[in-house]
Amino acid sequence: MAKRDDPDKLSELLGSFNGELLSEIPQHFNDDSIKVERLLLDMVRPDPIQPRRILPDRIHHEFHDGRLTPSQALRELVQIAQVAARQRGHPFKNLLELLPDPDRDEEDIKLTPEETLLKELITLAVTIHQDGQVNPITVVDMTHGVTRLYRIETGERRYWAGWLLKDFLQGFESDGMIDCIVVPADRSSVFRQAKENTARRGLSAIAMARQAALLLLTVNGYEIPAYAVTNDFYRQALELRIPRGTAQEIYAAMGGVDKAYFSYIKKLLLLCDEAMELADRHNLDEGVLRSITGLAPEDQIEMVQQIIQFGLSGKQVEKILHQDEQTTNETGTTKFPKHINDFVMGYSKHVDDFESESLWKAFLAIHRDEHLTHAFLMRLGETAFAAARNYKGQK
Amino acid sequence: MKRTFVLTNHKGGVGKSTSATNIALGIVALLRQAGAANPRVLLVDTDSQSHATLVTTGRNDFDEDNSLYSVLMANRQDAAEIMGQVIVPSKWDENLHVLPASPMLEQAERELQGTAGSPYRLADPLAKHAPHYAAVVIDTHPSFSLLTEMALVAATDAIVPIEPRYLETVGLMNVISKINYIRDGWRIPNLRVSGVLVTKMDRRVRGHHKLLDELSAHPILGKLLCGVIPMNEAVSYAHRYHRSIFVQNPKAPASKAYGQVAGRIVKYMGTSGGA
Ligand SMILES: Nc1ncnc2c1ncn2[C@@H]1O[C@H](COP(=O)(O)OP(=O)(O)OP(=O)(O)O)[C@@H](O)[C@H]1O
Ligand SMILES: [Mg+2]
Repeated sequence: MAKRDDPDKLSELLGSFNGELLSEIPQHFNDDSIKVERLLLDMVRPDPIQPRRILPDRIHHEFHDGRLTPSQALRELVQIAQVAARQRGHPFKNLLELLPDPDRDEEDIKLTPEETLLKELITLAVTIHQDGQVNPITVVDMTHGVTRLYRIETGERRYWAGWLLKDFLQGFESDGMIDCIVVPADRSSVFRQAKENTARRGLSAIAMARQAALLLLTVNGYEIPAYAVTNDFYRQALELRIPRGTAQEIYAAMGGVDKAYFSYIKKLLLLCDEAMELADRHNLDEGVLRSITGLAPEDQIEMVQQIIQFGLSGKQVEKILHQDEQTTNETGTTKFPKHINDFVMGYSKHVDDFESESLWKAFLAIHRDEHLTHAFLMRLGETAFAAARNYKGQK
Repeated sequence: MKRTFVLTNHKGGVGKSTSATNIALGIVALLRQAGAANPRVLLVDTDSQSHATLVTTGRNDFDEDNSLYSVLMANRQDAAEIMGQVIVPSKWDENLHVLPASPMLEQAERELQGTAGSPYRLADPLAKHAPHYAAVVIDTHPSFSLLTEMALVAATDAIVPIEPRYLETVGLMNVISKINYIRDGWRIPNLRVSGVLVTKMDRRVRGHHKLLDELSAHPILGKLLCGVIPMNEAVSYAHRYHRSIFVQNPKAPASKAYGQVAGRIVKYMGTSGGA
């Protein structure tokens, strides 16, 4: 008797009954090339380690920790966008209201990153519905036994657009499926993912930093986990070097960067979590972030906030930092830093002479740049407000 | 379109479940032997008696939450997802998966009778899973009930198992015309009767030989004859111990016969553009 659960024996046995038929079994069944399949959205999962993040940080983690379903994750995103829209006085109920309307003048409206993302996803969903999904996404076959599972290598936006179509956009029929190029598990590659990521526009500097880290960790033999990781996972790459002989491949996968740029990008991992998240969400360039990686975490956050709020350039950021440095170097005699003492003395003495026009002119005379002057004054105002609030809090 | 074989005959006890389960396993084993990248086969049990489910999974306690019943009663949009959740591995082979039946299926049949679109309740979600299998094999209840209709609507190929004692060509033609009637009624041009499988053939009975000769000589039915399974007590033992015939006794005549039927089917799948 053949042993139970011995697949090879069984196959051999049937082979013996069928003799030469086996050699006739057409190549058809042996085709393991990469193929396009239409898969149920439920069987597809975004890659938790994908450097290009689509969802806001909190939703990203809750989704990948299994605390949110895809629909719930999108619902959270919609809620964040709705709150922002209401605050701007443009509340929306139906998601389709977010679609660009040629009759409306929308040039000046500055959307929050969440609104922008949602708007883009809806537009993508509607396009897919109207024109069909032109490009299949790339997924890795992680199927195990009867549990069919596919991990997205690239194309996560189309995945979320698919869910929008399925669960959110009323009146848009959807069969809940998505066209995928299925790659066998043993052929998945962080290098291919990196190339695809960097080949497209709009990879944020922080995403590039995560991408660089992932490649470095991989070539250094680190195991890449299958769950969402904290930034500390990527920061391990700060201590890693590019092993001999792999540099060209890494630079090419990063979209053809040079050695200097790669090291600048990598250094962005020095940013604290909050600064990183802000910078990623607002898609800040490496150029404006470069000089703040050495600051203390609070200062990083504050600078990033200012960069976002005032649209500072890399040069302007450097100037601000340089200024701070100069002033803090001179130590005062009182228990306050000298520059604060000077400012307070001056202001207290001449309080009645401080008025906006001359303040503007005086600042402008120093900085010779309206934008930068504006930034300084706003910052001054904010610091004053914070100081005043402090008093209130202590009462 | 993925080849989906339905074993059907409204006569009871003719070997539908025995054939469905052993052919399904045979396809897996042959494809693996041939080095196919995807040798997975899905066995769908649409018979509330759950015999095919029991022998392949060792269980017959599937109910409203984890069986074909859940798929049939689900909302249209959710059915495919639920199907993915209720499919289980078989105990026979890692590449043989089972969509289990449940006694609850009788109730589903009553509830769905006459509701719009009910004959498609299996075909629609199955269409989303079938592409991931090399083939799908469906076992049916001995009747032309709504569930059998659903199975036929979901299928590309009907195989009719038949005992030699029922071999009157008239009776067989009746089964075939019933299948054709369903095909035309529901406009499923993909469905065809692609095989007649003679089961429980006893060479010692002279009448069996005569009937088999008649069948082979028939201009239509003769071409459809896809195998002859001898009457073999190993089949009964296999059934009792929930084993495949190949494992129960690989040397038994029925093992060889089912092995060859599976071989013919695999060849057919390859040549008919089925995969
Ligand atoms: N070739 C065979 N030799 C001996 N016994 C067989 C053979 N084929 C089937 N049997 C036996 O006949 C009985 C009925 O077989 P099976 O359950 O496969 O038929 P069925 O058509 O599925 O029945 P039902 O209509 O009840 O679903 C079983 O006990 C089985 O073991
Ligand atoms: Mg049966």
